[in-house]
Amino acid sequence: MAITGASEKAALQALKASDWHLEGAFDVFYSQPQIAVANTLHLEEVYNRYKEPDADMIMVEGISQLCNDLQVDPQDIVMLVISWHMKASTMCEFTRQEFIGGLQSIGVDSIEKLREKLPSLRAELKDDQKFREIYNFAFAWAREKGQKSLALETAIGMWRLLFAERNWPLIDYWCQFLQVRHNKAISRDTWAQLLEFVKTIDPQLTNYDEEDAWPYLIDEFVDYLKENGLVQHRR
Amino acid sequence: MSGGGPPRKRNFKIEAFKNRVELDPKYAERTWKVLEHAIHEIYNHNASGLSFEELYRSAYNMVLHKYGEKLYDCLQNTMTWRLKEISKSIEAAQGGLFLEELNAKWMDHNKALQMIRDILMYMDRTYVPTSHRTPVHELGLNLWRDHIIHSPMIHSRLVNTLLDLIKGERMGEVINRGLMRSITKMLMDLGPAVYQDDFEKPFLDVSASFYSVESQEFIECCDCGNYLKKAERRLNEEMERVSHYLDAGSEAKITSVVEKEMIANHMHRLVHMENSGLLNMLVDDRYEDLGRMYSLFRRVPDGLSTIRDVMTSYLRETGKQLVTDPESLKDPVEFVQRLLNEKDKHDKIISVAFGNDKTFQNALNSSFEYFINLNNRSPEFISLYVDDKLRKGHKGATEEDVEVILDKVMMLFRYLQEKDVFEKYYKQHLAKRLLSGKTVSDDAERSMIVKLKTECGYQFTSKLEGMFTDMKTSQDTMQDFYAKKSEELGDGPTLDVHILTTGSWPTQPSPPCNLPTEILTVCEKFRAYYLGTHNGRRLTWQTNMGTADIKATFGKGQKHELNVSTYQMCVLMLFNNADGLTYKDIERDTEIPASDLKRCLQSLACVKGKNVLRKEPMSKDISEDDTFYFNDKFTSKLVKVKIGTVVAQKESEPEKQETRQRVEEDRKPQIEAAIVRIMKSRRVLDHNSIVAEVTKQLQARFLPNPVVIKKRIESLIEREFLERDKVDRKLYRYLA
Repeated sequence: MAITGASEKAALQALKASDWHLEGAFDVFYSQPQIAVANTLHLEEVYNRYKEPDADMIMVEGISQLCNDLQVDPQDIVMLVISWHMKASTMCEFTRQEFIGGLQSIGVDSIEKLREKLPSLRAELKDDQKFREIYNFAFAWAREKGQKSLALETAIGMWRLLFAERNWPLIDYWCQFLQVRHNKAISRDTWAQLLEFVKTIDPQLTNYDEEDAWPYLIDEFVDYLKENGLVQHRR
Repeated sequence: MSGGGPPRKRNFKIEAFKNRVELDPKYAERTWKVLEHAIHEIYNHNASGLSFEELYRSAYNMVLHKYGEKLYDCLQNTMTWRLKEISKSIEAAQGGLFLEELNAKWMDHNKALQMIRDILMYMDRTYVPTSHRTPVHELGLNLWRDHIIHSPMIHSRLVNTLLDLIKGERMGEVINRGLMRSITKMLMDLGPAVYQDDFEKPFLDVSASFYSVESQEFIECCDCGNYLKKAERRLNEEMERVSHYLDAGSEAKITSVVEKEMIANHMHRLVHMENSGLLNMLVDDRYEDLGRMYSLFRRVPDGLSTIRDVMTSYLRETGKQLVTDPESLKDPVEFVQRLLNEKDKHDKIISVAFGNDKTFQNALNSSFEYFINLNNRSPEFISLYVDDKLRKGHKGATEEDVEVILDKVMMLFRYLQEKDVFEKYYKQHLAKRLLSGKTVSDDAERSMIVKLKTECGYQFTSKLEGMFTDMKTSQDTMQDFYAKKSEELGDGPTLDVHILTTGSWPTQPSPPCNLPTEILTVCEKFRAYYLGTHNGRRLTWQTNMGTADIKATFGKGQKHELNVSTYQMCVLMLFNNADGLTYKDIERDTEIPASDLKRCLQSLACVKGKNVLRKEPMSKDISEDDTFYFNDKFTSKLVKVKIGTVVAQKESEPEKQETRQRVEEDRKPQIEAAIVRIMKSRRVLDHNSIVAEVTKQLQARFLPNPVVIKKRIESLIEREFLERDKVDRKLYRYLA
C-alpha cells in the first residue's frame, strides 16, 4: 500500500491473486488497470450529465453527446471497446451501473481522463485475446433486445468495423455473399466461428478442409468463392 | 576239484571246442561261386532248377563265418555286371520295342531281386543293419536306377519316348496305356525323387509349352464358347490320363499347368471377346457357356473376380440406362416391370450357371442398389406398380401369382435408399385405392403390409394399418346407422361414409364445397348420429375425396347411371334447376376451389364419350367466361358411365416438388432426434463421428445428407441442446 499507493482493498486483492507472495502481488497490481482512487462522486456527476431526463439510462442522445465530448465519431470502434469494458447489454444504451462500473474498470473518473485513455483503449484491439473477447461480446451487444440472432445488416456493419482492424482480405466478399445468398439473421455459432475462420484459414483457402465442421454458412461461402473464381481452387 | 582222496562222482563238463576250426577260405570262395551261379540262373529264368534251401544255407554259412562283407560286395558286383548287360540289350532295342524291352527287363529284375533277397535274407537281417549298408531289395532298386535309368544312353531316350507317346495321345493317337502305367510305376518304385526329377518335371514343362501353343491356336480361331469347351475337354483328358497311367500326385500339378496355359493366360481376351465373350453370354442367357466359364475360371486366381467385375459393370450400365431412359419414365408400371425382368434374368443366371455363388449375389445386389437410386422417382414408381397390381381389374392372376409378384417387388424395395419417400407415396396410393373401393383383395393388401412391416418395423406400417381399421370401422358404423335410422331417412339418397382418422390418412386440407340440399340433409343426420355416439370428436367433410352415383335421364329418355366425384355431383345437381349456367354461376353456387372446378368441368364437358355437359365455346380448355348446358344429346353404349375416377397416377412436376418438400421437412425432426439420442449417450463427440452415427441410425429409412445434418447440428446449438467445445472446435458437447 505504501509503495503502490493502492487502496487496502486493491492491495488485498493483489496479494490474494498472487497467493500471498509479495513480489507476485506487485505484478498483479501493476498489470491491472489502475483502479485509481475512484472518486465515485465524480463518476455520478459524469453519469448524470448524460443520462436521460426521465429514465435512469444513458440513451442515444446522451451517447451522441458523450461522443462529442470525447471528440470521437459515434461509429468509431473505440466506442465498442468502451462498451465492452462497461459490459453493456445493448448498444446505444448504458445503465447507471454499466456506465459507472465501466469507467471504473477503465480506471478513469472524468471525461478528460477518458479522452486521454482512448489511444490505449484502441490498442487493446491489437491484443489477440482481448480482440476475441470484444468480438464475441459484440454479438450479444449488437442484437435487438429479445432476439436470439443478429440482424444481417447490423452484423455486416459490425464485421466491417471489426475486421478493418484485423485486415481480413475476404471481408468484402463475405458481406457480398451474405447479401446475395443468405439474407437471414446470423446465429451466435456462425458469428463465433467466423473469427476462427479468419484467424486460421488463409485468404487463398489452401488450408480449408471441408470435413472440418465449419458452420454450413462458411462452407457455402467457400463454395461461393470457388464458383466465382475468387480464390485459387486447389485440391 | 578233488585234492586228497579221489571223489567217486565226477561232474561232466563240456567245454568249448578248443580247437578253432577255421572255415576254409576256399570254402567261402566256393560258396560264393554257388551263389553267383544261382543269381545268373535266376536272371536267365532258370530258377526252377535251384534249391532254395541249399542256397539259403550257403548264404547263411557265409554270414555266420564272418564273410558277410564279401558276400555283400560280391552280390553288388554281380548285380552291377548283370545290369550293365541288361542295359546293353535295352539300348539295342529298336523304336517301339524300347519301352517294352525296358519293361520286360524290369519285371525280370524285380522277380530276380525278390528271389535273391529271399536267399540272402539272413544277411539282410544281420549283417546289413549292423554294417549300415543298404538292404538287398533297395540295393537292387538303386542299382537299377543308376545303371539303367540313369545310364546316359537310356535316360534321355526313356524320357523322350514317354513324352512323345503322351504328345501323340494328346494329338489323338492311341497308345499302350498299360505299358505306360508299368513304366511310371517303375519310376515311382525307384523313389518319388526319380519319378519327379526324371519324368514329372520334363512332363510338366513339355505340357506347358504344348498347351501354350495350342491355346494360342485355339484362341485365334475359336469363339469364346468353343474355346472353353476345348479347354474343358483338355482338362478332363489330363485328369483321365493321370488316373490311367500317371501317379496320382501328378494330377494337381498337370491340371494347374493346363489351367494356367489355357485359362489364366487368356482370361481377359476370352472375357472381352467380341460377339462371343462374357457380355454376349449374359445378354443371350447362354447358361451352358456361362456355367462352363464359371467352373473353369474358378480354378484360376482372379478368375471369378474377373467374371464378377464384368457382370457388375454390365449390370450397372444396363440398369443406369433403364433408369434414366426418358421413354421408360413415362410409364411407371413399365419401368418397374423392366427392373423386375432384369432382376429375374440375372437371378436365373446366377442360380443356373453360377451355382448360386454368394459373391455374385452380393455383386447383383450392390449393382441394383446403385442404379435404382440414381433415379429419385424410383420409390414413387414402385409404389405405383404395386398400386397397379392391387387394383381391381387384373384378371387371371391367382392369389399365388400376386404373392409372388409382391415378394419380388419387396426385393426392389430393399434396394431403395429413400424408403421414407416410398412410404409417403404408398400411403397416398393406398388411400385412393381404399376410398374408391378398387382393391383386388383385402388379403393381398394386408399381405403387402405384413411384408413391409417385416422389412421396416412396426412404425412404418402403423398408419397404413390405421387406414384399414378406419375402413372396417366405417363399414360397421354405416350398418349401425342404417339399422337405427332407416325410417327417418326414408327415400333420401343413400349415404356411404368413410370416417378417416386424421394423421393416418394423407389428406389435403381443403374447404368443403356447397353440397346440394338433398345431400346436406342426410349428411347432417349422419353427423348428428355419429357425434351422438362419439363424444368430443370433430367431423369435417372431405368433399375433394368423395364419389357419387347419380341416375340421369337424357333427351330421348335414355337412363344412365353416372359415377362421378363429389365435386362433379355438386355441379351436375345444379342443372336440375337450370338448363344453362355460366362458369361464374357454378363457381358461386358450389364454392369449389378454382383449379379443382376447372378440372372437374373439363372431365364433364370436354371428354369424348363422357360429355354429359355441353360447353360454349367448344374449346378444349375451361375459361371463366364459358357457359355450360346440360347435354340432352349425350349417348353412351354403357348404362353405367364412369366419369372422373380418382386413380393414382404419377405426379406432375409441381406435385412432385411438393411431395419431396414434405419429405425433406419430415426428415429434419428425425435427424434431430437421432443427433440428440446419440449425443445424450456419448456426451462428447466430434463432427464426423456424429455424421457417421446419424447416417447409420437412419439408413433403414433414408440416406441423410451430411450438409443437412450439419444444419441440424447448428440449429441444435442455437437452441442450446449442444455446444461446441471451447478448445477443439470440431467437438460437440451435449447440454443436459
